Amino acid sequence: MGLFRYTIFRLLQAIPVLIGISIITFALANLAPGDPVRLMLQGQEVDEELIRTIEARYGLDQPVHVRYWNYMTGLVQGDLGYSIHRRRPVADLMLERAGPTLLLVLSAYVFALATAIPLGVLAAKRRNKPADHVSRIVALVGVSTPSFWIGIMLIIVFAVQLGVLPSAGLVYPWQPPEAAGHSGYIEHWIESIRHLILPMIALGTLQMATLMRVERTQMIESLQQEYVTLARAYGVPERTILRKHAFRSAQLPIITIVGLNLSTALGGAVLIETVFAINGMGRLFIEAIQQLDYQLVMGITMVLGAIFVIGVVITDISYAYIDPRVTYGDRE
Amino acid sequence: MATTESQLEDQEPGAHAEGDTADEAVETRVGWRYTLAKVRRDATARIGFYIVAIVLFIAAFAAVDSNLSRLTFGAVSDYAAAEALPIFDHPTRMPPPGEGNPNQPPAFLDGGTLSSPLGTDPQGRDYFTRVIYGSQVSVSVGIFSTAIGLIGGTIIGSVAGYYGGRIDDVLMRAVETLYAIPPLVLIIVFIVFISGGSPDIRFAVVGVGLTFIPVFARIIRSRVLSVREMDYIEAARAAGVKDRNIIRRHVIPNSFAPVMVYATLQIGVTILIVAGLSFLGYGAQPPTPDWGEMLRIAHGRYMHSNIWLSIWPGLAILVTIMGFNLFGDGLQDALDPRIKE
Amino acid sequence: MSSDPLLRVENLKTQFFTETGTVRAVDGISFEVYEGEIVGLVGESGAGKSVASMSLLRLVESPGEIVGGTIEYKGTTIFDLEEGPDGDLRKHPDMLSEAAMRERIRGREIAVIFQDPMESLNPVFTVGGQLREFIELNRDLSSSTAKAEAIRMLREVGIPDPEQRYEEYPHQFSGGMRQRVLIAMALACEPNLIIADEPTTALDVTVEGQILDLVDDLQERYDTSFIWVTHDMGVVAEICDRVNVMYLGEIVEQAPVDELFYETNHPYTKALLNSMPRPDRTVEELTPIEGVMPEAINPPSGCRFHPRCPDAREVCTRVHPEAREVDRADGHPHRAACVKHDVFDVGYDESVPLEDGADAKPSGGETEAERGSAAGGGHASTDGGESR
Repeated sequence: MGLFRYTIFRLLQAIPVLIGISIITFALANLAPGDPVRLMLQGQEVDEELIRTIEARYGLDQPVHVRYWNYMTGLVQGDLGYSIHRRRPVADLMLERAGPTLLLVLSAYVFALATAIPLGVLAAKRRNKPADHVSRIVALVGVSTPSFWIGIMLIIVFAVQLGVLPSAGLVYPWQPPEAAGHSGYIEHWIESIRHLILPMIALGTLQMATLMRVERTQMIESLQQEYVTLARAYGVPERTILRKHAFRSAQLPIITIVGLNLSTALGGAVLIETVFAINGMGRLFIEAIQQLDYQLVMGITMVLGAIFVIGVVITDISYAYIDPRVTYGDRE
Repeated sequence: MATTESQLEDQEPGAHAEGDTADEAVETRVGWRYTLAKVRRDATARIGFYIVAIVLFIAAFAAVDSNLSRLTFGAVSDYAAAEALPIFDHPTRMPPPGEGNPNQPPAFLDGGTLSSPLGTDPQGRDYFTRVIYGSQVSVSVGIFSTAIGLIGGTIIGSVAGYYGGRIDDVLMRAVETLYAIPPLVLIIVFIVFISGGSPDIRFAVVGVGLTFIPVFARIIRSRVLSVREMDYIEAARAAGVKDRNIIRRHVIPNSFAPVMVYATLQIGVTILIVAGLSFLGYGAQPPTPDWGEMLRIAHGRYMHSNIWLSIWPGLAILVTIMGFNLFGDGLQDALDPRIKE
Repeated sequence: MSSDPLLRVENLKTQFFTETGTVRAVDGISFEVYEGEIVGLVGESGAGKSVASMSLLRLVESPGEIVGGTIEYKGTTIFDLEEGPDGDLRKHPDMLSEAAMRERIRGREIAVIFQDPMESLNPVFTVGGQLREFIELNRDLSSSTAKAEAIRMLREVGIPDPEQRYEEYPHQFSGGMRQRVLIAMALACEPNLIIADEPTTALDVTVEGQILDLVDDLQERYDTSFIWVTHDMGVVAEICDRVNVMYLGEIVEQAPVDELFYETNHPYTKALLNSMPRPDRTVEELTPIEGVMPEAINPPSGCRFHPRCPDAREVCTRVHPEAREVDRADGHPHRAACVKHDVFDVGYDESVPLEDGADAKPSGGETEAERGSAAGGGHASTDGGESR
């Protein structure tokens, strides 16, 4: 089975999981005590007639399986539903808010990988020496600290005390500079980066710590492999061994973990967007929850789940690309 | 996910191919004793153990009534039992609001007093007492929801792993599905919709617990898959022992050690999540002193005027979770000598 | 036979410093390898063969360390210590630096073939890529020449379709084919000495035969010397010119191969030969060696083999024999480390026999009383007793 067929195979495998996510979101929103319209009105006195009219209009008076079927067929056509509360399609609302979240999550990953991989390799190379101990302490503190508290601390130090970086909001590099009141692209992009730094670190620290631990362990294991000893016995310099022979197979678990951690990262974005007042999907989710806008909540949950599933499929495919054994194993 | 499968295959050719039940039992016991001895020798595991022990001690003693807590915490315990744990119905006595000076700085700064070593909160309540009390909510929520995840995961994982086939497929797909939605998001949705819009720490406990069933189910399943292949299980099955008894008597005990390691680490993760929930307003509700909840209030209005309100609860979370992580890591190193230091 | 050996090892000691104590994995071994010969290093697992061979390349991994002895290759010093002014041992100034070892010795002069062909090739790189890299590095060839050379070598070791196989990954090769790749790798670097560490142990018997034939064939053609590490006396008989028998970190017998087989001097060698299945013997005649080899962390007193030795006498528990020359054959010495031989004048013949060779205690230090009572218990050896 070639890479192409493997890709198709993995995509097909993702379908049942996506259906499962739709069932879970639907079930949570619909099997909850109290019907959604009343829930939304939060105990306001409205006459029964009105409620029934609203229900009929959005198909809420139909039995559960019919409603789920409608929801599903909508999803397949890219229709995430309609927010009664905001009187707008859910998909439109989400598209408006997706950019900041994706920017935040991707930059957090870049930060995490750019720090975790060199530090993990260094720790493995200098095992049980000071550099290793420092990296392990950093990793331990990183996995033990709530991301939102890191955010708060960063704001206190860099925004409140030192006043060098902004404490709230993002500047979107894809917008024209004028929209943010900047005179040119250079200033605009510098501002984007300045706004991004603190939330990126806050969200990325947990990822960095996790990845650094894995990188260290994997490199240590990889350095003990017989093929590394063989490379040494053939006079390959230690640098090349670290960067090539031991490195490549050690990255395989990293790829898997990057994919699996996507769900933690997306969850973390909800917190970080709250701390830094960023108008992304995370804030949208909190707003929707506060307003009991269950169509919007379902839509966001569905999309977050789908992003995770697609992320895992992408990482699995890149895994297969690096490790030739994956695709081969299926052929046998 | 491809990796998980291949790791499983690696484990399957059981190392104890010729072991019988008695041997296996002896080995398990020796294994545990050996493990504990190693944990005792390992410095980091020991530090972790002490931190966990201290936090548990504080949490436990902060839970008793005001007389005992006076003994434990001395002068600062005047409001001690006032905001006791809401998970159980505990006699509560509200603190006199605004009795101390609001927003008093910690004792080591100008204007601080020794009677409120960490300062006071905006309502004039002693912050040290509140931080100490916060351990109760965090630790008990951490343990209770991990227990829910552990029990649920053990049942699902052992059934899936033992029977294999279609049951396994269906259960594992369900588990994978739950895994796909960010836990924090799933828990908030659960809490809000099930509670009908009035969140409460009890819903948080159940929600967090349910969300972590998949994690435990996966581990148990992979252990069961390797245990299942061992000869003595085959022998028991051939001898006509009921499946339920095989799972209960052989499979689960043999899968226990790695799961306990994971549970220890999971308590840390759970505390982290609950802090996040409270920070967003979906965990503990005021006036319950919870670290996440305290950070929520501090973040809202006092980040500029009183940074100490933001610092103490965060440090408390950090130390607690670090304790569980160190201890769990130590256990793991002791159990898996493959990559030891 | 040229007079200067290619490789000369003298009194080599490699130890592992572990939490539970010092493991003397290699404890003072001496041997030579001459140009164009295959020298066997034989013994049970744990005898220190692999550690010894890795020591020759100075690739012993922590917590292991070479602590003494001399390794000389073609007149250059791979390892040597000297006494510093303060009385401490320090590196000899002639000893090659780490960089020089890497650039001049490893791969270029001395190459290795490991036991497990499954683990020796990196799973995430193509077979050809790995081959080419080592050739490029050790023969200073350009990338394209190295590739051509790699393909030529793959053909040389009998891999069909080498151009196509060049692009494939290790998991697409069978075990025997991978071992051929590793042999190609070793030969392609054109070293003068190849250390083959149990290269056929992980293979089927038929494949093993093919590989041995191939090595025999190629060895003649390239005139490369080999150190052949194995536990299999059959392989030794088939391929080696001279043999070193190792037991618990020491070389207990050293002789040209025919001499070793027909004029066996050390009881351990004898035991190894007796435990080897042969077509002219029935299974009943097979005599497995009693007990297990003790751990090198706490070797028995006196002769290290005495707890398992059928010929052990009281003197063996006290006297630790160094290997001495007992004979010469084909211009090579026959050395043995057993006090039974006349060259050791320590009173073996007068000493009380220890009849419980079967009662193999894993570690030494038993008192005489214990030993006596065990003997008095009259342990029957499990193989039905040996007539001698």
